[in-house]
Amino acid sequence: MTFGWPPDEVDALRTDRYLDALLESARTAADAPAPSELDPAVRHSARRLRRELVRVHPSFRFEEQLSRRLADAAATIDRAGGGLRLDRSPVVGRRFGGEPSLESGRSVPASLQARRPLLVGGAVASAAISLAGAAFVVARRRSRPAPPMRRAVLAAHSRFVPGRRASRARRVPLA
Amino acid sequence: MFRRARRSSDVRRLDLDRPLVEAAQRDPARFEALYRKYVAQVYSFAFYELGDHHAAEDATEQTFLRALAALPRFEERGGLRPRHDASPDASTFRVWLFQIARHVIANERRHDRRHPTAALESAAVVAGPDDLEAATLDRAAASAAWSAVAHLPDDRRRAVILRFVDEMSTSEIAAVLGRSEGAVRVLIHRALLAVARELGEGT
Repeated sequence: MTFGWPPDEVDALRTDRYLDALLESARTAADAPAPSELDPAVRHSARRLRRELVRVHPSFRFEEQLSRRLADAAATIDRAGGGLRLDRSPVVGRRFGGEPSLESGRSVPASLQARRPLLVGGAVASAAISLAGAAFVVARRRSRPAPPMRRAVLAAHSRFVPGRRASRARRVPLA
Repeated sequence: MFRRARRSSDVRRLDLDRPLVEAAQRDPARFEALYRKYVAQVYSFAFYELGDHHAAEDATEQTFLRALAALPRFEERGGLRPRHDASPDASTFRVWLFQIARHVIANERRHDRRHPTAALESAAVVAGPDDLEAATLDRAAASAAWSAVAHLPDDRRRAVILRFVDEMSTSEIAAVLGRSEGAVRVLIHRALLAVARELGEGT
């Protein structure tokens, strides 16, 4: 008697009631009674899956590292006074275990990009060095050559070292 | 007005995580308690869906980071109320968390095209190390069961995992999957018949 319900749904309802009892029996260590109307195939596969599909725990290391990361994120929320912004673009994130790595294509909160300040600082430093180098080269190229008379005086007070060019002449103290 | 207040009190009474959620909304550092309570469940769901420990860790990480970020909006988006005869562990926060996990895992599957047919190496170890024969049989049985589940269509597989691994009620699974309770019952019933056929049991 299905009271107008489709047979499939009635069977599904019976299965659902049996699963409730089966899952509850795991807590109470009692055997779950199977109703006689229940399909034996359903009963067998339900018991089999109840036994085989165990809950899998993550590693302790992973659990603790994610806990620390969430704590960092929570502190960021506290400081910002609002929620985190989730960024879909590839970012430099802090990987578990404290080792920085590139996380391409992953959604990582922008506020968790621990290496970002370092990258910005490094970029500024290298840009400053490049500017100093460029300025030095320009200054060298723009420097005017010494007048002929000054060069002659310098040459008179110095000796050529055999095998070297004039520009590399070094001044030797007169004896 | 009265009806709204009554409904709100129902939610407050039924959602077992309400004190933890409210504490975490006031102080995000208190999210730790919710994380500890559900990390294994979310990880298990991800692991059975993705079939890979590293992918499951990534999905778990993303799920909790997103949940923490969206926690201030949880009250507005709540309204997922388990039935009165739901399991003792019924929680609207858990449903909300698993909705996030489902989306994260779906993105992961689309991104990497991973399939859960990989060996379930760690979960299958049930027997002690001394009893190698029993361990081998257990591992084979677990692999066969998992393989049968892995061959199910997506919705049936998710419903079975949430029912057996995470021990969710039908109403919770319906809320997570965005289906009616009747549809979820039929999904699980047909999944069990398919698994029985695959395992050659009871028929």
